[in-house]
Amino acid sequence: MKIMVCLKQVPHQDARLDVRADGTWIQEENIKFEINSYDTYALEEALRIKDAGQAEVVVVSIGPDRVTQSLRTALGMGADRAIHVKDPEADASDPLGVAKILAAIAKAENPDLILMGLMAEDGNSAAVPPMLAELAGFASTTSVMKVTRSNGTVRAERELEGGALEVVDLTGPSVLSVQTGINQVRYASLKGIMAAKKKPIDTKSVADLGLSGKVGAAAAKIKIEKVYPPPKGKGAEIVTGSTDEIVSKLVGKIKELGLL
Amino acid sequence: MASILVVAEVQNGKVRESSYELVSFARRIAKAQGSEVRSLVVGKGANAAAEELAKKGGGEVYLADHELLAHYSVDAFNRVVRAAVAAASPSVILFSHTPIGWDLAPRVAAGLDAAFVSDCFNVEESGKLVFLRRIFNGKLDARFVPAASPVVATFQPGATSPFEGTADGKVTPLQVALSPQELRAKFVEARTVQKQGVDLSKADIIVSGGRGLGVPEKFPEVIQPLADALGGAMGASRPVVDAGWLPHAYQVGSSGQTVTPKLYIAAGISGAIQHLVGMKNSNYIIAINKDADAPIFEVANLGVVGDLFEIVPALTKAIKQAKGKA
Repeated sequence: MKIMVCLKQVPHQDARLDVRADGTWIQEENIKFEINSYDTYALEEALRIKDAGQAEVVVVSIGPDRVTQSLRTALGMGADRAIHVKDPEADASDPLGVAKILAAIAKAENPDLILMGLMAEDGNSAAVPPMLAELAGFASTTSVMKVTRSNGTVRAERELEGGALEVVDLTGPSVLSVQTGINQVRYASLKGIMAAKKKPIDTKSVADLGLSGKVGAAAAKIKIEKVYPPPKGKGAEIVTGSTDEIVSKLVGKIKELGLL
Repeated sequence: MASILVVAEVQNGKVRESSYELVSFARRIAKAQGSEVRSLVVGKGANAAAEELAKKGGGEVYLADHELLAHYSVDAFNRVVRAAVAAASPSVILFSHTPIGWDLAPRVAAGLDAAFVSDCFNVEESGKLVFLRRIFNGKLDARFVPAASPVVATFQPGATSPFEGTADGKVTPLQVALSPQELRAKFVEARTVQKQGVDLSKADIIVSGGRGLGVPEKFPEVIQPLADALGGAMGASRPVVDAGWLPHAYQVGSSGQTVTPKLYIAAGISGAIQHLVGMKNSNYIIAINKDADAPIFEVANLGVVGDLFEIVPALTKAIKQAKGKA
């Protein structure tokens, strides 16, 4: 079986987020990037299926040169090969544009299963997985906390609200978006990292995928007009001083609340 | 007449409150655009729910009532929404950002080659439509403007007040032919996650730790002693539960427990939206975090910008001393 895993490279969780001069996104220069945490769980899930039997794991990512680093990490963890859509024309695609690129790759690769994170930590849209399924003609479900397979059927447990779960059976090629915490993600071993150096990364352009003029900033159907820090609410009263002064203020407040 | 379509959700035979919130948004957009609100109710035996929605602001309510719609299936519901879109030709199609909404709306949008924006907290409709939403896990806000029609949008439950007026609508049956073979994602059963002995919802005081703790050992070393000294319970944010440091039962937030204690102390928790929705209604919130810009300080009453490893043990000691004297 073949499993395609879609990875997005996003700013590191602790990266400083400054709005860039034109106000429509963040300053991406000189910050650290990492694989979207949700996607690392998707990759781990694919690698577990591979470890349990026979599967080829193909990782796909869209973005500039820096994305190669994340693909190397994924190959080091155990993915077999990588596809890198590296083309300025793909930059600033909206989720539908991203889904069109991934659907073109899915059509060429013809995987049995596509795994990816529920959402990306930057855009938080949670839109691409179901869009990709619709465009590629795959079955789909989202926020998956458990995956099992038998006789061509994939059984997924979806996380709903307030601790509820829903069990869904999917028939045929499927796209699953996974929730964080579905597994414990492995680290790339030194041996894995060495082996990854020989694994292929195939580079594609938007034109290679037959999508010229259909993706990227110009084709986006939804545009970001402005990005800004959330308006400050009333906010907390900030306690300052020495540790002793801070603690005595906190104790006083807890007493005032009648809890001491 | 141009329309705004509300895709309502039915739960236990009733239209969900979040769907009436969509009606509020839809009426605002419709008023600005000179269009009308229409709605869609999907389900088996959902007639009463559709009738109620028609009387309470939903306008013309399309009702798709079919055996195969008894449980949510993205394939069947997608077919039904597309049929309603064909009937209503809406300029905007609204969903709630719920497990059904985030599963279904993007598929609908891709099928329509539409503009799509998700998890919005507001919409402005003066002159042009602007959708407001949070990005980067709540660290930034953004204004999204559609460049195509129709627009498919999902809204956070609770983003506005549910529409409460009455208005004359009507229920129109929507015939959609469905066969079991088309359901490639099929409902099997619903389950609840079993709680493992930690019921945070009953605790008067909760002391929660997050990623700022750095390593799992710090929970028993730093957080638990303060919870014990206060006679409270220990909680945690999602990242540390995901990392396997603590069982899911300790998790506070949208996918864990929603809590409203008399006192909530958050240490080393930055305050991702999904955590905030689970604790922001606590009676009193104290936040301790090294990052002065952490969103947790927006919902906290009292904040300490500093090193939790210094503050929390000192606080634990002081609480013990205060209790000793009492």
